[in-house]
Amino acid sequence: MKKIYCKIQNCLACRACELACAAAHSESKDLVRAVKEKQLSRPRIHVEFIDEKGTLNRVRAIAVQCRHCEDAVCEQACIAGGIRRDKETGDIVVSLDKCVGCWSCIMVCPVGAIIKNEEKHQILKCDHCPELDTPACIVACPTGALVFDEPENTGKEREQP
Amino acid sequence: MNILIIGNSAAGTAAIESIRAHDQKSKIVQLTDEAHPLYSRCLLSYYLGGSIDREKLLYRAEGFHREMDVTLHAGSGLRVVGMDTAKQQVACADGSTFDYDRVLIATGASAKLPDNIPGGIDGIFVLRNLDDVEAIKNRLQGAERAVVYGGGLIGVKAATALNACGLKTTIVIRSNRVLSQMIDYDAGQILSEQLHQSGIDILHGADISEVRTGDNRLVGVETGEGKVIDCDLLVVAKGVTPNTGMVQATGIEADWGIKTNSYMQTNDENVFAAGDVAEAYDIAIEAHTVNALWTCAVQQGRIAGLNIVDKNASYSGAVGMNSLNVCNVSLMSFGITSPKEGSSFRTLVLNRPERNIYKKIVIDSENHVKGIILVGKTNNAGVLLSLIQRKVDVSVFEDELLSDRFNLGTLLKHGGVSELERYYKGRSL
Repeated sequence: MKKIYCKIQNCLACRACELACAAAHSESKDLVRAVKEKQLSRPRIHVEFIDEKGTLNRVRAIAVQCRHCEDAVCEQACIAGGIRRDKETGDIVVSLDKCVGCWSCIMVCPVGAIIKNEEKHQILKCDHCPELDTPACIVACPTGALVFDEPENTGKEREQP
Repeated sequence: MNILIIGNSAAGTAAIESIRAHDQKSKIVQLTDEAHPLYSRCLLSYYLGGSIDREKLLYRAEGFHREMDVTLHAGSGLRVVGMDTAKQQVACADGSTFDYDRVLIATGASAKLPDNIPGGIDGIFVLRNLDDVEAIKNRLQGAERAVVYGGGLIGVKAATALNACGLKTTIVIRSNRVLSQMIDYDAGQILSEQLHQSGIDILHGADISEVRTGDNRLVGVETGEGKVIDCDLLVVAKGVTPNTGMVQATGIEADWGIKTNSYMQTNDENVFAAGDVAEAYDIAIEAHTVNALWTCAVQQGRIAGLNIVDKNASYSGAVGMNSLNVCNVSLMSFGITSPKEGSSFRTLVLNRPERNIYKKIVIDSENHVKGIILVGKTNNAGVLLSLIQRKVDVSVFEDELLSDRFNLGTLLKHGGVSELERYYKGRSL
């Protein structure tokens, strides 16, 4: 199945992916209107620094999001049965009508990809933008650091961080 | 093959799903003494407190057993009371018997009722099953005061639920802090303060010496010092005991729980055990123990199921862990959080009680993380957990472990390409 990969050498940590993700998951689906919405939409992708110091062209960062793991521990940890694998897409999907905000999935996610929506006391995570052809973060990335592809086509993205 | 699953909760369900992922032909029969649709035990306190309704307790959609082609026999008469490993047969309370080629014992655990608490009194409850919660809910009408006996996870969850129901609630607890098995004194202080602020009283270092009744109905409890707390309800939360009764006199090895190897197999090759009834390897304490936790039960059930259909899956081991939210303060704990005095473990601590923040990392002499407490800031907790599970040498980045900015990026900085590959593959271990 297709997953999101980040070419670390191309990532400038500009966080355009975060804005695009938040906008894509807002009510209006539009960044300008999204920032005025009552409940601020939150990104499901976040830029993490590998080196915290350095000039812009030296910094190394990675945009982290849910890996939709083969052996998904979040699915195993969810006490409500609200995290399940979609049989058709293979994606790990959250049913928000079941989420009680116990944070059991956050407790076990090995990459820290699950985020708290504090206002709603529920979780947020990458859903691969099911209603779009390509996830919003991929389209927004100005340097082509983010790609959405099958794992076997992503050799270049797997170079030394 | 004739597969028998005993128990209809986390471990049993995970086993069924992992069996059916590989084998649609074998006959699966499941036995449970609970006549309710498959529900999540961990949500019971949410249901009691009124934050979810009864239908939200369902762990799988209606029709799950049909979809999985499982014949489910449910009811109190179907409690398994014995087994004959030579005949490969189990016997139920109502006298019925079931044959198996392979069997999974996922009978769970039962709430302990200490000797000083009499049975059969109206107003005394435990919080383990859906029936328990319905009984408590039926007793809430007109009730004003509740006492919770025990300050572990279930005790705290019961107390916050009863408090949310509008009852004046007191926790009676023998030790000097709540969650003494999970967290240390300083973390307990933050939690106690939150509980106080929400209106819950905590009686530390106290014990119930006597239960006061009138007309076979609870009217109060007497604590050690002769003090009496009038109450309409007493919820006993003094831990659980694994339901190992059915293996007595069978030759299947059991101590506190049923002993298993890394395939979740007992000393009888056709008998598997998983979940709250099973002793399995614990990565943090490096010994076999019972971790009566939902996630462990699911993982162990899954491994047992895979091995029942000969998929040769090995359990990497459990880490004792819990997540709790009290009054919007998130708390998590992992592994060994209070190392014994004189041990070679060292601890890193960040304590900001005025902001409800506390972090503690316990590290052994080989620089492996052995335990974690997180209060207030629990984002990225799973990344820290993975350090325990994978026995990562943290000596190089030890000073970054308490930082709020500790995340996958930190691991990539120090772990290089193998960490990146692990991330891309989405591998937990």
